[in-house]
Amino acid sequence: AGVAAMACSSLAFADSGIGVDLWRGNKLDPTAGTRSETPDENGTTWLKPGQNRSPTGNLYLGPFTPPQPEQYGDWRGYGTLEVGVLMVPTGDQRNALWNRYADWKEGPILGLLDYTLERASDGTYANFRGSRISDDDEYYQATFGRAGAFKVQAFVRDMPNIVSGNAKPVWNGVGSNRLTLPSGLTPGGSTPAQIAAASAAAPERTLSVTREKQGLSYSMFLTPEWTAYANVTDEQRRGARPYGGSFFFPGLGGSMETVKPIDDSTINVNGGFRYAGAAWRMDFSYSGSFYRDANTRYTFESPFVMASPVPGALSAPVYQGQMSTEPDNDYHNLQATLTRKLPSLNGEVSLSAAAGRMQQDDTLIAPIDCRGVFGVGFGDLQLGPQNPLLGDCSQWNTPAALSRRSAKMRIDTSMVDARMVLNPTSQWTLRGNVKYDRQDYRTGDYLLYNPLTGQYGYIAENGSQPSIIPGEGFPVGRFTEVGNMRIRNIPLDIQTVDANLGADWKFDDKNTLGVTFGYNRYEPTHRERSEINDSSVKLTWINRSLDALTLRVNYTYLKQSGDRYDYDPYEEFVSASLPGYTPPAGGTPVITTSAMRKYDMSSFDQNKLDVMATLALRDDMTVSASARLDRKSYDARIGRQDYDTGSATLQWEWQPAATTNLSAFLGYDRSRLKMSNVNDALENGAGTDPSLGGPTYPYDAQWWLRDKQRNYYAGALFDHRIGRVRVDAGWNYTYSRGTDSYRYAGPDALAYPTTVPPGPGSGAFSPMVYRVNSFNLGVTIPIVERVSLRVFDYYERGRVDDWHYLGFDQSRYIGGMLYTDGGPQSYSNNVVGMLVNVKL
Amino acid sequence: AQQTREELSRNLPASGLSNEEVQSTGRTLLAAPGFAKAKVAVNPAFPDATPVGERTCTACHQLEADHFTHTLHALGLHAANKADASIPVCETCHGPGSQHAQAPLTKGSIIAYTKNGGTPIDVQTQTCLTCHEGGPRDHWLGSIHQRNGLSCSDCHNPMAKFSVEGSLAKSSINDTCAQCHQDVRMQFNRRSHMPLPEGQMSCADCHNPHGSLTAPLLKTNTVNETCYQCHAEKRGPFLFEHPPVRESCLNCHSPHGSNQNTLLVAPIPFLCQQCHTAQRHPDNLHTMQSTGTGSNPDFRVMGRGCLTCHANIHGSNAPSGPKFHE
Repeated sequence: AGVAAMACSSLAFADSGIGVDLWRGNKLDPTAGTRSETPDENGTTWLKPGQNRSPTGNLYLGPFTPPQPEQYGDWRGYGTLEVGVLMVPTGDQRNALWNRYADWKEGPILGLLDYTLERASDGTYANFRGSRISDDDEYYQATFGRAGAFKVQAFVRDMPNIVSGNAKPVWNGVGSNRLTLPSGLTPGGSTPAQIAAASAAAPERTLSVTREKQGLSYSMFLTPEWTAYANVTDEQRRGARPYGGSFFFPGLGGSMETVKPIDDSTINVNGGFRYAGAAWRMDFSYSGSFYRDANTRYTFESPFVMASPVPGALSAPVYQGQMSTEPDNDYHNLQATLTRKLPSLNGEVSLSAAAGRMQQDDTLIAPIDCRGVFGVGFGDLQLGPQNPLLGDCSQWNTPAALSRRSAKMRIDTSMVDARMVLNPTSQWTLRGNVKYDRQDYRTGDYLLYNPLTGQYGYIAENGSQPSIIPGEGFPVGRFTEVGNMRIRNIPLDIQTVDANLGADWKFDDKNTLGVTFGYNRYEPTHRERSEINDSSVKLTWINRSLDALTLRVNYTYLKQSGDRYDYDPYEEFVSASLPGYTPPAGGTPVITTSAMRKYDMSSFDQNKLDVMATLALRDDMTVSASARLDRKSYDARIGRQDYDTGSATLQWEWQPAATTNLSAFLGYDRSRLKMSNVNDALENGAGTDPSLGGPTYPYDAQWWLRDKQRNYYAGALFDHRIGRVRVDAGWNYTYSRGTDSYRYAGPDALAYPTTVPPGPGSGAFSPMVYRVNSFNLGVTIPIVERVSLRVFDYYERGRVDDWHYLGFDQSRYIGGMLYTDGGPQSYSNNVVGMLVNVKL
Repeated sequence: AQQTREELSRNLPASGLSNEEVQSTGRTLLAAPGFAKAKVAVNPAFPDATPVGERTCTACHQLEADHFTHTLHALGLHAANKADASIPVCETCHGPGSQHAQAPLTKGSIIAYTKNGGTPIDVQTQTCLTCHEGGPRDHWLGSIHQRNGLSCSDCHNPMAKFSVEGSLAKSSINDTCAQCHQDVRMQFNRRSHMPLPEGQMSCADCHNPHGSLTAPLLKTNTVNETCYQCHAEKRGPFLFEHPPVRESCLNCHSPHGSNQNTLLVAPIPFLCQQCHTAQRHPDNLHTMQSTGTGSNPDFRVMGRGCLTCHANIHGSNAPSGPKFHE
């Protein structure tokens, strides 16, 4: 029976092979229903005390008390209803960290409604399960099916996410696609005092994005060998979140954090047929995704005055900003897998192929949204030959200024994978696979060309940059000396070949040794390298010599290298590639140093060690431990140089009785990232020597940074019955500490060099800290048969320090910059709940 | 009172895979196709063992039967057995029970799904795959979990309802994975994380523990395709793309949790400065002076840092957005 009972095992919406939405729970009960079940005091079996262990050695859970179904003719029904109230007497209820993905409000809640109907005569069943904490934190699902025949399921789920609990946007129209300044602020003409006053007067508010999702799925057996399935979901995101907004540098223009409206929907569909016979298996599937955004862009007004530092230069008073939103996109993917068993070699060979397409053709917004003029004038702001660096907004704020009206972007993907696994003897397993992936940009270049003016390039930062620095971020003519203006987009075709060959040897019935050789060839287009090669060897040892112990050890060594590293692969996409381009007398300025090695393109050596052990201390007690190390050393003088991570965990579990469970864990993990960069030394930015140590990037301007992250974790769970009363308690602790220390070769490396003495120096940022302590205590008291009362208290306290937001509690207008989000805040909340549990 | 082993072995029925009561009321419907071909599992350790039927099993294992009855496996197997009495119940998974009934303490006399039950891992998994092979489990053979000697029953326990779905060994998918991957589970306690501790998603939304075409057991063929399942707005393709973004979301994001905002691998601006060294643009070193309480507050360090201006860092569809300003 090839795929018999697959329906029984497949999860709620998709399955473990395709799609998401496999689980719907909430913070009140992440297990989605088992928290309210009662452990069976009789345990698992009459034949012996205690619990069996899984093959790895973990203790199985004790079963719950079997339900007492009501009989309705052929049907039997049973379930749980849990209703009650939440009380949040004190605390920071709107804190973003506290409310992330949960929305605990004071008031009545539906803790759980879970009811099942079964018809034993033919295996038909129906189930409804739901929970409602608030309007934004709820889920409901209904399932109907026949075991081994078919299943249909529908669900609705709302998931909250508060992204800022202390936002102070100055604009009117937050949440819409048009942000306008309030009275008291003049677009493009507000004084710093006026901006500071408006920011201070702005009311503090919450910004959130809620996901509302609905879905329907169907799966069925066509025959004992063939199954078919189809799933469709529709998700809407609504809300607003802090976002950027660029009007050049503070003091000259201004930088601000705007508010982006979130109003989109995504329809995901997948479906297919699966076959599992005695010799062959087949899997044919389709996946599609259709994203739609209600907005193509949102606009915002800038309060900042444009002020050019160039003597005699008059800045155009641009103030209208725009931000494009994500384009609508469609995605299709077809995939097929054929697998043939090889009985003579006790193995199988499998071939998979996939073809996909992602595309969008959104109408493009105009290059700029200004009125009047942009750029700089000398003497006046009148258009004409006397002001060659002044632009006419009317020639750029229209779609007619585009080389193409819509995006017409498309990427085709393809994949072929062939693999074979053979077990020629009971001791040996031989494995091998080859995978080919390709990503092709199928649309022609988008040319940044304005047919109205005959100019190439784009207007940077909503016209603010050319209105402050004459000629910068200003479109160029056909014949120009400006060489670094982007004039077309960059296709990023990628091809990957991945191959692995390995063997596993069970040299006795307690030990298995394995080795796997890997090779990966990555070929990106228009990147610093055109070919990157990974070679790896992985060693595996599994030991079960001791009945009480299972030990798994894996070690991997990987070396990545590639062809010549081109620090500037983008020349054909900038104005230097225009016909008639004549470089400046000193040559074309370089865009970066030749010593830079971007870490995704860099060569590196990697060592990984992974050890996992599960030990039965006693029949009712287990200890599990793991240790992991991952060290990557990059070949880079500038860029990422080292990235090491490691972790260690220790878990203890004790099940002394069927109704008593205790567990605890300790954990630690760390990361260390080392990088280096170098400041450019020439004020005019016209350096033509890319070498490290040259006049553009002198050694004296090099600096190094070490980012260390340390995380400490601990937790404990207790669940015990005292007489008829069940007591459960939990504790969870996380302490994260991140430090960033630096050193530099000389003051020229610094953003603000005048404040330090000559010569090398060093220092550190203040630690970034995140500490959360949470406790829960619950008491479940039986009232009458089938009815119990659960009273619980949940306390959570969070402390956070983040130097990105220092001073934001005093003002959101700092140093000529206007911010909306106040950053993460410490919090403390206590929730008391009373839930009446009725076994239906 | 329980029967002695001798009494039990003397009372074994001569044949019949389920109790007579079930057979007498059965045969009214065809078995569901998913169970129509279910048969007594093969136990290589005791090839001469013969089926004894559910009633014999429950003579000793009544409590197990009470818990098993309310599982989906039981519902399907019992219904199939009613329709066709040759379809076994217990012995579909545990193999023929005669040797076990006569010598219950003999390890491996039935197919056991426990550490010291005497049944090799390969026999355990092959028995499950007899019915469950293919589909999501198409690439189990050769997968990292198979090669590390995991059994289906390390994660699943169909003998009772321990989880609302999935016949899991623990209360949820996440708790099941955390048996071995506690180090990964802990990462979700960090400052920014996917909504996994809140029960809103599971490990299996991104990973297929039964095997896939990728080494980290991703459910799709690439990292980005996995992320796009819930973040379709990032798919694009955008008019102007950020190369490392198109390459892999993991270049900048730590998917299980991070101490930075929005799952970033390192704090801004240093995350960006690992790759960017442009003239007359931020390739210089910022210090605490550049923070909001420093002597030179700098927008490249405060708040969103680089993303204040380069806001559309995942890609821009604006004709003036080559540098992701718009």
